[in-house]
Amino acid sequence: MRNILVVEDDEIMLKAIRNILNKDGFNVVIAKDGKEAFEKVQAMDYDLVITDLMMPYANGLEIVSRIRNDESKNNIGIIIISSVGNEDTITEAFRLGADDYLKKPIMAGELLIRIRRLLDEKSRSSRKTV
Amino acid sequence: MWKDLQDLIYHAYIEFRYLPLFIEIALVFIVIAILATISAYCIILTKRWRGYIKEKRINFISPTLEDMITEQVLLNEELERKVPVDNIEFNREAITKDIYKKKWIRQVLIDMLIQYRKNFSGDVGDLIRKLFIDMNLQKDSFAKMKSMKWERKIKGVTELTQMDTQISDVTILPLTNSKNPSLRVAARNAYIQLSKNEPFKFFDIATEPILPWDQLDMFKIITTTKDIAIPNFSRWVSYSTNKSIVSFCLKLIAHYGQQAAIPAVMDLLSNRDHYFRANAINCLGKLSAEPAEERFVKIYNNQPLICQMEILKAMGRIASGKYLDFLKHEFLYSTNFDVRMNAARSIIKHNTNESRVMVNELMATVTNENQLILKHCNNPLIKY
Repeated sequence: MRNILVVEDDEIMLKAIRNILNKDGFNVVIAKDGKEAFEKVQAMDYDLVITDLMMPYANGLEIVSRIRNDESKNNIGIIIISSVGNEDTITEAFRLGADDYLKKPIMAGELLIRIRRLLDEKSRSSRKTV
Repeated sequence: MWKDLQDLIYHAYIEFRYLPLFIEIALVFIVIAILATISAYCIILTKRWRGYIKEKRINFISPTLEDMITEQVLLNEELERKVPVDNIEFNREAITKDIYKKKWIRQVLIDMLIQYRKNFSGDVGDLIRKLFIDMNLQKDSFAKMKSMKWERKIKGVTELTQMDTQISDVTILPLTNSKNPSLRVAARNAYIQLSKNEPFKFFDIATEPILPWDQLDMFKIITTTKDIAIPNFSRWVSYSTNKSIVSFCLKLIAHYGQQAAIPAVMDLLSNRDHYFRANAINCLGKLSAEPAEERFVKIYNNQPLICQMEILKAMGRIASGKYLDFLKHEFLYSTNFDVRMNAARSIIKHNTNESRVMVNELMATVTNENQLILKHCNNPLIKY
C-alpha cells in the first residue's frame, strides 16, 4: 500500500482528501501544520506528499525545499494544492522541486489521476535507476 | 426588607444633597464609571460564554455532519459510476434525520458546505450544491435575506452566492441600491455572479455610488466570473445619471476594448465635469480611438491640467503619427514639467522612424533639462 502524507491546515479539506484517498486504497497520514509535517516526514517513508502552501509554523515551500534537500527523501513525489494562483509562487514551487500544482477549488477525480500518474512515473524511474 | 432599602436610598440621597458640589460631581462620575465597567465586563463575559457554547456545539456536531457529507458526496457510489450529478439521489433517510431540523445545526451545515465548495469544483462541487438544495438549506439563507438586520441579510446573500443559488430579481435588485454600503456591495457582487443573462441590470436603477474600492472588488468579480454576459457598456455612458457608474463603465469599456462605444465616449468630451472628461480621454486612448485625436488637439488649450495630461498620454497610446508636431510643440514650449514629460513620453511611444528622427533632433538641440527628460523617457526600465 502506498503511503501519502497530506499537509493542510484546513481541517475540512484535510479530512476530505484523507477520505477520498483512503477510498482509493492509499494509506494516508495527516499533518495540520508545517512543524507536524517535518516530524512525520522523518518518522516514516512516504511515496507522496500533498501539501498546502499557506500554513502555520512552516509553509508549503519550506516543506518542499526540506524534502528535496534531504538525500534520503528526495525521491518522494510532491503535489501542492493551494488557493494561491500567482505566477511567482507557482514558479517558485516548481523551482524548489514540486512535481505538480493544483489550484483550489480542485476536482477530486483530477487529483486522483495526477497522484496515480506521478506515483507511476516515480516507480518507473526508480526501477530504471536500479 | 424592601422598606429598609428604601430608607437607605432616601438617607443616602439626603446625605448626598448636603455634600459640597465638587464632591457630588465626583461621586456621580465614580458611580457612572463603576456601572460602565460592570456592564462592559458583563457584555464581555456574555459574548465569551456564547462563543464557548457555540464552539462546543460545533465540535459536538461537526463529526456527524462531516460523516454525512463524506458518505453522501465524497464517497458517493453513483458519482463514481459517472451518473450525471442532477440524476444522483441522496439517501433520504440520511439527509432527513431530525437533527437536521434544528436551526443551529443547519447553520453549521451551511458553513461546512460552503467550505467544501471553496475547496472542490467539478462533480463534487456540483453535488455539494445539490445537497444544499435537497436539504432545503437555501430556505434558511432566503429567510436571512428577509431579516431586519443588515449583517444577516449580507450573510444570506453571501451564502446563496457561494452556493450558486438563483435569487429572484425582486428580492435582490432593491438590495443593490441599499443605503447601507456593505449590503449594497454584497448584493451587487452577488447579482453579477448569479445573473447569467443580464448581470449589469442593477446599473439601470442604481442611484447610490459605486465607491472606488468597491469598483476594484467588482472589477475582479466581473473579470473572473465564468460565462458572464458582457454588454455594450456605452448604454450607461450615454444614459446613466450616476457618475460613478459612468466612470466604472469607462474602465470596463477600456478593459474589454469595446470599439463600438467610441462615439458614446467621445460625447463625454463636452461634459462639464473635468474628471469625467479626463476619464473619457483615458478610455479613448486605451481604445486607440484614432478619430478622437483631432478633437483632442482642438480642445487641448481649453482644458484643465488633468485633462491635458490625459490627452498627451492618450496621443501616445493612439500613436497615429499625425500629431507628432503638436507633441513636439508641447515638449518645447510648455512651462509645466509634467506636460513636457508626458509629451516626450508620447513622442517616444510612437516608435516609428519619424518619431525616432524627431527624438534625435530634439536631443541635439534642446536644453539640458529637456535632454534629461528625453533620456528618462527613453529608458525602458523606468515606467513612471
